[in-house]
Amino acid sequence: MVLHNIKNIFNDITIDGDKLFVKSNIYQVLNFIKNNYHFNLLKEIIAIDNKDAGIELIYHLYNIEDDENVFISITTKEEIESVSQIFNSAIADEKEIYDMFGINFIGHKELKRLYMPETWQGHPLRKDYVEEDARLNWNEKT
Amino acid sequence: MKKLKLNLGPQHPSTHGVLRLILELEGEKILSCEPDVGYLHRGLEKMAERLSYIQYLPLVDRIDYLASFFYSELLCRTVEKALGIELDKKVCMIRVLLLELNRISSHLLWIGAYLMDLGATSPFFYTMREREMILKLFEKITGQRMMNNYFVYGGVRHDIFALDDIECIINTIEKKILDYENIITENPIFLQRTKNKGIISKETGLNGSITGVNLRASGINLDLRKNDYLYSDINYKSIILETGDSWDRYKARILEIIESCKIVKQTLDYLQKTSGLKQNLINPIGIKLPEGSFYSEIEAPRGLASVYIKSTGEKTPYRLKWRTGSYYAVNLLRKLLINEHLNDAIAIAGSLDIILPEVDK
Repeated sequence: MVLHNIKNIFNDITIDGDKLFVKSNIYQVLNFIKNNYHFNLLKEIIAIDNKDAGIELIYHLYNIEDDENVFISITTKEEIESVSQIFNSAIADEKEIYDMFGINFIGHKELKRLYMPETWQGHPLRKDYVEEDARLNWNEKT
Repeated sequence: MKKLKLNLGPQHPSTHGVLRLILELEGEKILSCEPDVGYLHRGLEKMAERLSYIQYLPLVDRIDYLASFFYSELLCRTVEKALGIELDKKVCMIRVLLLELNRISSHLLWIGAYLMDLGATSPFFYTMREREMILKLFEKITGQRMMNNYFVYGGVRHDIFALDDIECIINTIEKKILDYENIITENPIFLQRTKNKGIISKETGLNGSITGVNLRASGINLDLRKNDYLYSDINYKSIILETGDSWDRYKARILEIIESCKIVKQTLDYLQKTSGLKQNLINPIGIKLPEGSFYSEIEAPRGLASVYIKSTGEKTPYRLKWRTGSYYAVNLLRKLLINEHLNDAIAIAGSLDIILPEVDK
């Protein structure tokens, strides 16, 4: 994998196949990878709620010239730096993750509800989301 | 000049679904654009966490109703990968055949609808006429016009037939494409509305994660079919254009239809020679994926589509995430529409081939 040198620069990174596990400084790591290894397409950001372990964010980058994928994983509880300054498309992904998981992206300019109504309580894709919401039972009331 | 805030949509005929664009105008000039989505949100990712894999399969056809084969292929492929199922070559060919026919029908609808957005009504009837042939064929083969639910884990529902019909349809479409080229491509009004309008540069496209035809029209060679195991025995050419304006995106789709017709012919050659169908079907009740995460992607008509499944060994996925092309195209409108005229807003937004159920998931 082309990224094996990255361990010399950021020492808290572990590599497993095409997965990189980062503990902190996601902004600097992504910026470095984009500028030095030409991973210039952020395909998506995947969020997974691992209950007590926190919410895992997986940044999926792609290098078009070498046709190489890399998944960069970081775990957070509540907030994390926004990478929308590096990848414009992250604006969209981060908005969706804020709506569905309630992660606060520091530096994101328009963090607000995307799919759910603005008055909605809770974040639906979290595992601790309360599903017995009165508003969901409108069909069975009569 | 006084600034004006204009709501374009949600119920606007040219938004192909329910998309609301909040535009800030100064006279006719657009100062800012904010897309508002979510009117069609069905919670497909949340539903996946409740349903077993076989219960979820019919649902994924609804993600993009114009390209439903692609999404069921995507889910089937991920489950097959996780369970280590290999497909027979004939099954692969049947899948490629239907995927490419689906791509043709999706592009045909776009051409008609886009020209309608620009004010030309008659191309819509022509492209719908050709698309109808494909939909009738889908109904004949799968029993459904649009939400086909024909691919299953480990194969297809039943053997394909009506190969002569497909050949006839492809020959007709190849002829009719020339008609479209004569009517539309060099039409001066069409050129005026699309040439050098809504240019997506290579950098903007990559930075906004635009994929598929939209990115290839800007000159970037990103076609996932070249790594796709389904397409390993098929010769085709990726369509790469240069400028990345609305006209290029139109032309790229026309050329892609021609290319898809060639792919269909190759699969037909194979299918006509082989008989019998060897499938590796699995018992759909109680499918359990092994622990771990699984990812697969496909070149859908509206760009890169992918699915990520995290499984804990249960009957349902722990987390399932869809990536769809249109979602990023909608978000690019923020940049693309700035400093354009209001009457070009529809012409530019339409050229990206946005479909809203795919955005809202």
